[in-house]
Amino acid sequence: MNIILQNIVSGLLVGGVYGLAALGLSLAFGVLKVLNIAHGELIMFGGYIAFFAFSAIGVDPFLSILIVFPVLVIFGLVLHGTLFTHIVRFEEEDRIKNSLLIGFGLTLILQTIAIQLFSADERSILTAYSSAGFELGGIRFPLIRLGALLLAIVSVVLLEIFLNRTWAGRALRATSENWQTAALNGINVRQTYFIAFGLAAGLAGLTGVLLATGFSVAPSIGLQWTLKALIVVVLAGLGSIRGALFGGLLLGVAEALSAYAFGSEYREIIGLIMFVIVLSVRPQGLFGGDHA
Amino acid sequence: MLKINQLEVAYGDIQVVWGIDLEVPPQSTVALLGPNGAGKTSSLLAMMSLLPIKAGAVQFKGEDISTKKTHEIVESGLVLVPEWRGTFATMTVLENLEIAAYTSKARPLQKQTLKEVFEIFPRLEERKMQKARTLSGGERQMLAIGRALMLQPELLVLDEPSLGLAPLIVDNIFDVIAAIKNRGVSILIVEQNVQLTLESTDYAYIIETGRIVQQGPSAELLKDDRVVEAYLSL
Repeated sequence: MNIILQNIVSGLLVGGVYGLAALGLSLAFGVLKVLNIAHGELIMFGGYIAFFAFSAIGVDPFLSILIVFPVLVIFGLVLHGTLFTHIVRFEEEDRIKNSLLIGFGLTLILQTIAIQLFSADERSILTAYSSAGFELGGIRFPLIRLGALLLAIVSVVLLEIFLNRTWAGRALRATSENWQTAALNGINVRQTYFIAFGLAAGLAGLTGVLLATGFSVAPSIGLQWTLKALIVVVLAGLGSIRGALFGGLLLGVAEALSAYAFGSEYREIIGLIMFVIVLSVRPQGLFGGDHA
Repeated sequence: MLKINQLEVAYGDIQVVWGIDLEVPPQSTVALLGPNGAGKTSSLLAMMSLLPIKAGAVQFKGEDISTKKTHEIVESGLVLVPEWRGTFATMTVLENLEIAAYTSKARPLQKQTLKEVFEIFPRLEERKMQKARTLSGGERQMLAIGRALMLQPELLVLDEPSLGLAPLIVDNIFDVIAAIKNRGVSILIVEQNVQLTLESTDYAYIIETGRIVQQGPSAELLKDDRVVEAYLSL
């Protein structure tokens, strides 16, 4: 019984990171109707910045989010301004297709740059508290993973406040529902697209920090994390912010339990099975329907 | 106030508007009438920069707006209530009205205008916490017009406000339009409901297959044999 509980807890703790990975992807897709396949590469770069901030100048990883977030936001703005802004003029269906192509190219470029700059080695941050944790009722809670889940929850809450309470946030919601109507409300849609893409990149950066601390980063991890994020987005329903977190937690728990029940080689399969089932039975997602 | 000059609009190779001229003088209510597919909505969307203008010019308050962005046009006081109503289904009534005060001109007046809108449409105040998608067709049209008022329009353009509404509610909407006119807002109304629109406007244009085929003071068109025969006799 304890082992199952332990697996559920471990799954939840990993799931927060999945949720955070999905948050940015979902935001960019919801607002811009652009699917950024290179989202995982943005996560990877966020992880490397945190790693070097720690290893070169000793910045605590949880503090390094103050560097990583703005750097990735700026990187996102540049990427949008140079690449994606050209396709948001198209009809929505063409946007998705073209964004896939651009994102795929970007993936290859960023991966190669990462190999050249950082070498192909796996890196992870080892802090003094990396192996710390506590036990509660026979279940172990690693401190770093707990911090990661906490950061994911705080990000979701802050993002929801931003989307519901601020002018810029409401403009994002309006644009994601119907960009023409948003424009007729006096909203600068072009500017809104920049904000959404920048934010999405910043969120990817945060995810990267958690990867570098609780897992590891390497130039090749991008695709795997884009896939995880995609699965979560489909589980959650597009544009559902809270749903992205719940979807992440659900995927984390499902992976942990299936690894326990069938062996760890089945860990990656359960997500894809859920992906297919949800897409065919409930394409709007488990928490979709009332998106935004 | 608004001057449209030889406007042409095309979707790719398919041209739908073939050089129309139209003018809305200040403080007036002008109608653009015509059957489905005549190019009414396309003209409006082109005017708002939501469709590319193939040829011609659009002037608002003496300024050429054909190269401006949609949000800049809205900010300058030209506000469209689109055929698809333009409300955000996933937002509450209140959120819909609040976000419509988005422009820098409308923001400081948000609270005041919101009160005025609720005075015009008490029904919206009753439903302010409801999601817009749960509203009836008439209520959604009220919300669409209320939303447009939040933007401080100088010229309010309504694309088929009576579309899909029960006759009683249509009368109600036209009363509101008259009230808005009395506040000094100019109005351009695009309609298929010819009788009612001619009764409540000063001047009217009739458009068919992308061309203006007739125009004149609304009261005269109401008595014009050709108009009566084509649109009013049943």
